[in-house]
Amino acid sequence: MAFIDARTLPDASRIEADLIIVGGGMAGITLATELAGGPIKIAILEAGGREIDMENQALYVGSGVMRGPDNADRPFNDYPVQSRIRALGGSAHVWGGKCAPLDPADFTQRDWAPYSGWPMSRQQLQPFYDRACDLLGIPHFGPDTPVLQDPARRPLDLDPRDGFFPAPRYFSKISGGADKAAFDAFRTDFAEAPNITVYLYANVTQVRLDARNDKVEGLDLACLSGKRHTAKAKTYVLATGGIENVRLMLASNKVRPEGVGNHHDLVGRFFQGHVTYAMDGDAETEGSAINVARAESMALYVPPGRAQPHCVIGSSLSGQTRMKTGNFTLTLYNGGEPGSGTPTQAETRVIRQTATRVDGGKDEGQLLGCFAMTEQFPNPESRITLDMADVDPLGMPRIKLDWVYSRADWDSFERTAAAVGDALGASGQGRLCWPVERKDYVAICNASRHHMGTTRMHADPRQGVVDADCRVHDIANLYVAGSSVFPTSGIANPTLTLLALAIRLADHLKLEMGAAR
Amino acid sequence: MTPPVHQGLARRDLLTTLLALTAGAALPTLVRAAEPAGAFADLDRDAVERIGKAWLEQNPGTSAKTLAMWLFPSGQTAGTLADLRRRATEDFRKGAVFIHRGWRLSQTEGALFGLLALGSQGGR
Ligand SMILES: Cc1cc2nc3c(=O)[nH]c(=O)nc-3n(C[C@H](O)[C@H](O)[C@H](O)COP(=O)(O)OP(=O)(O)OC[C@H]3O[C@@H](n4cnc5c(N)ncnc54)[C@H](O)[C@@H]3O)c2cc1C
Repeated sequence: MAFIDARTLPDASRIEADLIIVGGGMAGITLATELAGGPIKIAILEAGGREIDMENQALYVGSGVMRGPDNADRPFNDYPVQSRIRALGGSAHVWGGKCAPLDPADFTQRDWAPYSGWPMSRQQLQPFYDRACDLLGIPHFGPDTPVLQDPARRPLDLDPRDGFFPAPRYFSKISGGADKAAFDAFRTDFAEAPNITVYLYANVTQVRLDARNDKVEGLDLACLSGKRHTAKAKTYVLATGGIENVRLMLASNKVRPEGVGNHHDLVGRFFQGHVTYAMDGDAETEGSAINVARAESMALYVPPGRAQPHCVIGSSLSGQTRMKTGNFTLTLYNGGEPGSGTPTQAETRVIRQTATRVDGGKDEGQLLGCFAMTEQFPNPESRITLDMADVDPLGMPRIKLDWVYSRADWDSFERTAAAVGDALGASGQGRLCWPVERKDYVAICNASRHHMGTTRMHADPRQGVVDADCRVHDIANLYVAGSSVFPTSGIANPTLTLLALAIRLADHLKLEMGAAR
Repeated sequence: MTPPVHQGLARRDLLTTLLALTAGAALPTLVRAAEPAGAFADLDRDAVERIGKAWLEQNPGTSAKTLAMWLFPSGQTAGTLADLRRRATEDFRKGAVFIHRGWRLSQTEGALFGLLALGSQGGR
């Protein structure tokens, strides 16, 4: 097993390989796993050690703000350091393991969603999704509208014409939080292959271009101990995460002041995240909830234990097309029971009783808490830049995140929330309580740690940083892996998709580097 | 009439209502229907009244009689709940909704609360 602590190498060492992968998180490890045992000599340069340590983690400190029309700006200064992990395995040390593919709709070019459309379809990505599921130890998701087949757990009987369907979610155990042994095996076993060496505590600080600016010539490395090294390969893959890929590309400005791959000022733009919107109710105010009329178990949506396969209420392409909206999900959970005693609670009860009777159910039906997720449309003003005046101990400028929602995002969200309420009511399945007001979206939202869009994929170099093979436009030997290449973000948790893309990239590199069997 | 008429009352319902108004025999049924409607008589009256008032504020000038005629054109029968369900479906499909503290209800349900509130006020 070749793990080398870069701090123990003689100062100014030069690392050489055929392929260098910068970053040993889920993306980098998946790529290396796919190439393990083959003829390509691989070096992974990983900034962290095996476990999380605060000195390394502090290199992720940055600043941020979330903004949206009609809302007060919300400082997000903790987000850059708290939403990812700088250690071997990356954020998978702490990720929830929740997996879902992007919907076929997410890959389409939607006229009402500016900058939408992937240079591939869901169908084309399907075999790579299947392989990613195998790697993560979860069942495959079907290609069209995946279904969770479980006769004991029936979905809500929503009319498909209304545009909503039960979208499944599975959980992988390969997470530092869920199954440490499985996670450790995932992040170390691949390095037993003779063609792989992993360098720990090896922070890449500069991607050096050659004189013609069309090829990477080498990398500069720095250790917090003070040592400096270089690395050279035929081909390079940046897999440092959806924020750090940007930081590295923009900070690599010794040859071109705008940074690497940034001819068209796209690197760092189009930042998209996922947030959840929900309101907790109390004795005086309603929480976000649905009341379902049926007495039958809702275990398909609210499984008995944590991290079990379940469905969310998803929005289909036909619904999105009709409503001119982005993707949307409603996740249900146990809770929202208001108790009794206050006038609000009495009103809630009366509403539930009335609606349930109208729907043909008994008593008050079932009350479940819910949170909504809505697709953030790609927006060039939502972006990561560098704060040149604020550098970390390695001399790398820190990032500034300006996470910007648009009026179109809010409009789409509200239209879909109303539509899901109408769909429930129209099919006699229940009622939605959505007490959230537009002016509060930024204040109440809960940010997921999904960082997408900042090195977006597009066939046209003026519209994307990488091409459909994840190669940086105009740089022959540089690729990007990770969720930063997503042109649109859908609603699905991103890791399964970034793994599918990494596997696809591995196949591409095998061919390109002459290693295909 | 107020929003149920503008937004939701189908031409057929309107005709039924007008016919009912001119036919003296229908009146006793309608008056009875204006009292807390059978299937909902057990609901917390104070809560019902507050919700109904909120609906009536959005639909000022609506009388119990008009509401009863609109909701129960043939009086309350065994088919009343099914009829309300059908109307609720139609409301939701055309976005004729009444939102109360976040709850997204059909206009039919809102009108029902309005009627129950008026009936309950009359009963005090
Ligand atoms: C609390 C939490 C919960 C989450 N839950 C889910 C979930 O349920 N489902 C889901 O799909 N996603 C979830 N995510 C997101 C998920 O963890 C990420 O999408 C995924 O781990 C990203 O993998 P990556 O390899 O692209 O990036 P990272 O995990 O960020 O890995 C990047 C690697 O690069 C290294 N690195 C960084 N900079 C340098 C440098 N300059 N030089 C060398 N190496 C460098 C880092 O140390 C790290 O090992 C969650 C994230 C968090 C934080």
